[in-house]
Amino acid sequence: MADRPRPPISRRRLLQASALGVPGAWVLSSCARAQPLGSPAPAASAGGGSASAAASLPPLTEIPIASPQNPVKWPINPGNEPITSGLEPEMNATLRVYNYPDYVYKRVLKDFQAEYADYNVKVELSTFNDLPEALTKIRSGSVPFDVGFLTYNYMGKLVYGDLIRPLNHDYIPNISDVWEEFQNPFYDQGWQYTVPYTIYTTGIGWRHDLISEDIGARANPYDVFWDTKYAGAIAVLDDDREVIAMTILRNGGTDVNSGDPAVLGQTRDSMLEMLSVSQPRVTITGYTDIPEGTMSLSQCWSGDMITGQYYLPEGVDPGLLRYWSPPTGQGVIGNDFLCVLKGGENPVMAHHFLNYMLKSEVAMKNLSFVGYQPPLRSLTPEAMVADGLLPANLAGAIVKPEWFQVGYPLLELPVAVEGEYQAIWQQFKSGG
Amino acid sequence: MPDRTSRFIWPILGLPGIVWIALFFLVPLYVVFCVTFGTVDPIFRSPVPAWNPLEWQFEQVVVVWDRLVGPNNFYLPPVLRTLLYVVVAVVACMIIAFPVAYFTARYAGRHRALILALLVAPFWISYMMRMLAWINLLQPDGLVNSIITLGGIIPLEVNWLSGNPFTVVMGLIYGYVPYMLLPLFAALDRISPSLIEAGRDLGASGFELFRRVILPMSVPGIVAGTLLIALPMMGDYFTSDMLSKSPNTSMIGNLINLSIATPGQSGQAGALLILVLLVLLAPMIWYTRSNAKAEVRS
Repeated sequence: MADRPRPPISRRRLLQASALGVPGAWVLSSCARAQPLGSPAPAASAGGGSASAAASLPPLTEIPIASPQNPVKWPINPGNEPITSGLEPEMNATLRVYNYPDYVYKRVLKDFQAEYADYNVKVELSTFNDLPEALTKIRSGSVPFDVGFLTYNYMGKLVYGDLIRPLNHDYIPNISDVWEEFQNPFYDQGWQYTVPYTIYTTGIGWRHDLISEDIGARANPYDVFWDTKYAGAIAVLDDDREVIAMTILRNGGTDVNSGDPAVLGQTRDSMLEMLSVSQPRVTITGYTDIPEGTMSLSQCWSGDMITGQYYLPEGVDPGLLRYWSPPTGQGVIGNDFLCVLKGGENPVMAHHFLNYMLKSEVAMKNLSFVGYQPPLRSLTPEAMVADGLLPANLAGAIVKPEWFQVGYPLLELPVAVEGEYQAIWQQFKSGG
Repeated sequence: MPDRTSRFIWPILGLPGIVWIALFFLVPLYVVFCVTFGTVDPIFRSPVPAWNPLEWQFEQVVVVWDRLVGPNNFYLPPVLRTLLYVVVAVVACMIIAFPVAYFTARYAGRHRALILALLVAPFWISYMMRMLAWINLLQPDGLVNSIITLGGIIPLEVNWLSGNPFTVVMGLIYGYVPYMLLPLFAALDRISPSLIEAGRDLGASGFELFRRVILPMSVPGIVAGTLLIALPMMGDYFTSDMLSKSPNTSMIGNLINLSIATPGQSGQAGALLILVLLVLLAPMIWYTRSNAKAEVRS
């Protein structure tokens, strides 16, 4: 039988079909989790959070923003007390570690497994590209991560989302080797939840054979990003906060977390000017691009240039790499931390892991791969140079303890200000 | 009885496809709408979809609209840039693919399957790997510069990877040209040689033959190929990300990608996505209608 021509679907039929689709929406709705705005996600409970804790949390407006001027001691939510002392690490544990890519030396993880061989521990490393992605996955509870390598401007979200477990200090004696600043950091007074992992400054990295100028000798080295001479050969970090902060500093400001509309307006104009003047690329791969010569100069983190030594083409002298950040320490400075995640299944082993990462020899080995310095007393700049971790030309990449008194950390922002920063960044990344 | 069987057999055979489309196209599309018109968790800035259409809010659409046509319309340059890149790349793909497809259809004889396979073979490798290969070739000291400077004899320094729009368009052409080639080949292959012979017998020159016989008869292939490559190109962000990394070559896809990755902005990403969808819907409807009319005519 030949196919009978069919009438095209009428508008009436289409509307009827659409109406039939609405119950489908209700089905989806009923499948979704009830998630009142502003309350911690129930998924956190799935990962170990407690509903009672969630109920006790204050509303959003009361969540403090930690800063050096306003250090914060976070609450410990009911039902989320630290583990008790003297517990044996879990047997046959799979310790799930969640981190940025290439931000921990895998040999260090294998050494940890060997050190705890009696407990038959296996370390499983998962990676995330950025913190919003990490937070989403941690909240979902789909993977019971034990240890997180995270950043302090997410502390409020981690605590109030009931995603992080307070530490029992008895398991972490190696904290004694940590710089004093980090035994009572502004973002976690009394180190209730975190131990420091790495510290860094944000500055400028370049290859001396491609850019012969001594950038640090300029009256304002940040001006290099507004210099037509280097158009097309430079890059800024693919990070809104870092680029906005650098522009504020370049314009003579010091408040890199400013919410002042005048400052932000001037910053936006300067960033758009940068686009037209020097056409920078926007990337976080300066640690490979500069050594390989794809790019001559880039805004980068101090650890990037230290790691960059290992990406130099064969025969290129590591002495060609340069890094500048304000030698007084009055530039962007920051650190990442290690924490025990509440959704993890092995909290005791996780505490042991944190303690292990603070061991001097472990930290040194890890530094040799990631390029980022841990804030340990035993790891002096002299020791780093003497051990060959740093050539003398990259001594500027070493972060000094006193810089944390004068440097400018990038802090968590109020939601409205964060929106302003995002709009500036979007305009910049749209090409103006 | 056979009539009754055939009445049910085709819908039953079509059922898996319908279920597939419902599950993997319509439901995700509805989720995009729910995210776009939903709200944002005030702490985590993650999207809170509004599953009930009666609860939909349109703030994010207003924000996107304002950034497109308002006084601070900074979304407009990437939109216009995308349209320009896509038009240039589609035309270039057509110019490259047409002679190749024509040759393969008309003159390759028994080797045409082999030629087609060889033309498409590089595209069995993932898009990312092919773009990474281009990054190597286009390095300042890469093979491309070595060739155009005759091994460094000609003092010419081209930095292809420094936010060069030409590189991005070239990447788009390279990435999508086979998808133009295949429908063109299919259309040209269907042209009966006797029609071309008839044209010649009636005294048409080579150009006249092309203009009055081959080109009109290959229009369905040109349209199909154009749609097939223009649609994904409009949402492409990867090519610019890999070969340029410069805001000066940002496309709509890059804006969408940035909004998705930015806490609290997934609604804007959804609104941009719907905008692209609406822009692309018009040529799709036109194509479907013209195809239906052509079928009726034939």
